[in-house]
Amino acid sequence: MVILEVRKVVKSFGGLRALQDVDLSVAKGEIRAVIGPNGAGKSTLFNVMTGLLAPDTGNVVFDGEPITGLPPHRIIRKGIGRSFQITNIFPRMSVFENVQAALFSHHGTSRNPLSLARGFTRIGEEVLGILEQVGLAEKYDLSASVLSHGDQKRLEIAISLASRPKLLMLDEPTAGMSRFESRETVALLQKISREQGLTLIFTEHDMDIVFAISEKIMVLQQGAVIADGTPAEIKANPEVRKAYLGEEVTEK
Amino acid sequence: MDLSFLTVQVLSALRQAAFLFLISSGLTLIFGVLNILNFAHGALYMLGAYFMYWITLYIVGTGGFLLALVLAPLGVALIAAVIETGLLRRIYMQEEIYQLLLTYALVLIIDDLAKIVFGPEFKSIPKPDVLSGSVTLFGGTVPVYTLLVVILAPAVALLLWYLLHRTKTGKVVRATSSDREMADALGINMSALFTLVFAFGAILAGLGGALAGPARTVFPGVGTEVIIESFVVVVIGGLGNLWGALIGSILIGSLETVGIIVFPEFEMSLIYLLMVAVLVVRPWGLFGRPLKVKALSEKNLAMEAQEISPVHFSVHPAVRWAPLLLLLLVPLVTGRFYQYLLSQIFIASLMAVAFNLLLGTTGLLSFGQAAFFGVGAYTVGLLATKAGFGTLPALFLSPVTAAAAAAVIGFFCVRLSGVHFAMLTLAFGQLIFTVAYKWYGFTGGDNGIQGIPVKPISIGGLAGIDIGSNQAMYYFVLLVVGLSVGLIRRIRSSPFGATLKAIRENGQRASYLGVNVKLYQWTVFVIAGAFTGLAGGLYALMEKAISPEIIHWTKSAEPVFMTIIGGIYTFVGPAVGAVVYIVLNSYLVAWTEKWALVLGLVLLTLVLLLPGGVVGFVNEKARQILGKSGCIRRWSFSKSAK
Repeated sequence: MVILEVRKVVKSFGGLRALQDVDLSVAKGEIRAVIGPNGAGKSTLFNVMTGLLAPDTGNVVFDGEPITGLPPHRIIRKGIGRSFQITNIFPRMSVFENVQAALFSHHGTSRNPLSLARGFTRIGEEVLGILEQVGLAEKYDLSASVLSHGDQKRLEIAISLASRPKLLMLDEPTAGMSRFESRETVALLQKISREQGLTLIFTEHDMDIVFAISEKIMVLQQGAVIADGTPAEIKANPEVRKAYLGEEVTEK
Repeated sequence: MDLSFLTVQVLSALRQAAFLFLISSGLTLIFGVLNILNFAHGALYMLGAYFMYWITLYIVGTGGFLLALVLAPLGVALIAAVIETGLLRRIYMQEEIYQLLLTYALVLIIDDLAKIVFGPEFKSIPKPDVLSGSVTLFGGTVPVYTLLVVILAPAVALLLWYLLHRTKTGKVVRATSSDREMADALGINMSALFTLVFAFGAILAGLGGALAGPARTVFPGVGTEVIIESFVVVVIGGLGNLWGALIGSILIGSLETVGIIVFPEFEMSLIYLLMVAVLVVRPWGLFGRPLKVKALSEKNLAMEAQEISPVHFSVHPAVRWAPLLLLLLVPLVTGRFYQYLLSQIFIASLMAVAFNLLLGTTGLLSFGQAAFFGVGAYTVGLLATKAGFGTLPALFLSPVTAAAAAAVIGFFCVRLSGVHFAMLTLAFGQLIFTVAYKWYGFTGGDNGIQGIPVKPISIGGLAGIDIGSNQAMYYFVLLVVGLSVGLIRRIRSSPFGATLKAIRENGQRASYLGVNVKLYQWTVFVIAGAFTGLAGGLYALMEKAISPEIIHWTKSAEPVFMTIIGGIYTFVGPAVGAVVYIVLNSYLVAWTEKWALVLGLVLLTLVLLLPGGVVGFVNEKARQILGKSGCIRRWSFSKSAK
């Protein structure tokens, strides 16, 4: 079953065509990588899919509903989660509060101005549950600003998971992480996807990771899709080899 | 309309535009490079005028007028360089509010120092004979001095253009203005550049003052009038944009001239109306572009992390309720003076705590809270005097009308952020002020409303409770403020409050939680407006007389001061700040006339040394010292199932 469908999306900035007729179709539960050199349009595509940018033409359909041009907060409510390339958390709140705020929003409690936040023990337990999932339960009362880079990334994933998305978009989830941290994070994502049937779309520069976990890979170059298929197909695609992967694939 | 009249009016408009341009070009240049909206720019203008006065009087004489016109701005530049290297440099990494406040503290200090050095009276600067005459132009009589001004200002504009576009330093300035990080990465010496630009901006302000001084008059505090006009100009033109400042100056200069002829009553309202109109259509000004919102992570969080300890501590209930018990007992042992002083403090506390719901909790710096205070106060004043409303119904409506005003104003303001938000709230506030100040038929104009009756309160047909006495009023104010502050505290600790905090920390991420950020900001703006209106209503009842001064923007600055003094990231901080502010004010005014100087020094010290405020500091120490004693407990989450 297709959960996300991007059809003929075009986005230009001034004279620059950042996305040209991009098509993308992602099945439920799939782990999909979007790769391409810097400036290929990966982040632009993510921004269009999550409402930060409106496409010039084309549309985005999620779970059977058109979401093109909706503001981010409405798209998130429909079941899309997102993590960012640059760590994007609430720095001067505790780890607990970071995830709690996300859950309040998810449960529609954010509008409640008259109950004590800490009185919501069910939500509190849910927070700890999610923190356990990403391995941050022990650090729940630390300020998010003092966490290590890897932990902050994990916290961001926890925040994204808190809105119980059907689809999670991760923009370079392992950027700036050590080799070890990357492995752990990737394992975590795979586990979550498997256990909850969560669909993942991610961008990544580390090709080892991309080929290790993706079920399908889309390759962007200068805003256009030059290939889309299974890892084996991508590895074999001469255009991709020529344009992008080059040395890296031939060596192996 | 004949040609002579037109000539005189056009030149008058151009002269006004010329003064405005000299001041606002420096202001916008400094903002472009340093990212600081310099409140002290008006004070630098004032110094330019005073130096002009002093130099022509004692050094070069009136004959050396033109020489003095060069020397005075250089003197101002020298002082500006000292300010930049000694003070401003320490807070570039801080949040905007601290930068604004530091320059505001400088205004207070420089104004009072000017009063000490030059005396409190109005000074006029004599012009040399050559410049004092007038000429006939198209049948209209035009002062020669006006011609000098309207020729000199475009010359300065041309010079600026040349410096910025044709010199190497100018190109560096422009590069920095458009992308500071990039310029930094290219190895430009930022410290030297910042000093240079700040001093150069000061030269322009000083020149404005030196030129305007002989045409107008000089007195301590003249800068406060000038700075607001300049803010309007640069915000209309687009912050940081030099040509925006030019167009803005011409627009405002013309509007003022036309306004005086066509709508003499509401001339000042027109200016704020124009600003509001421009920002509604183009939120970033005519030539402005959206500012890069600096992520919190780029700022100096190490220091602040300790100020906002995210871990909850709970104070022993006895410690929490003891002050309230004390306040209930106070009127039994004190006289009218202390009852009145404390009532003042309660009302100010409510205003400050409500303000901090915006600043500390949500990260919105409103510089127009006096408008809602005023709407609340006038609601009570008008309903009680003109419509015969009882005390409680009138007071009940004060937060309602204030909330309605906040709903309209907030609708436009929440589309902006940072200093733009602050400036738009300021403009709306001043718009309401000018209307209240001039609308004699409705608000009583600058006379305000006197003799507001405080009728006995009757609830459900019960015998009336008279709250006319000082003591009864004290308890009444304490009750209303106590309940309100309790409610605000509740709001802050609620899921809604938690969401506001998330918006403060990272608005983009908050919207990716599914939160409609603008709607939440608007809602909290209305809530804060309602409580501020209630504070205004109480004020009207307690003082029994109100005047438009309570709506002036300087009144909007008070909750800002109180919050910074007490501690921006604590709940009781603003209230403690209110105590400090009003007590200092009451005693210092009686003891010395240098109230502004003292306040300025206090603010300066706090911004530089204790950015967490008094309560933030005490909290931190208390946690360290009392943490083990049991008086303060650390909150920890425990599963309910256990």
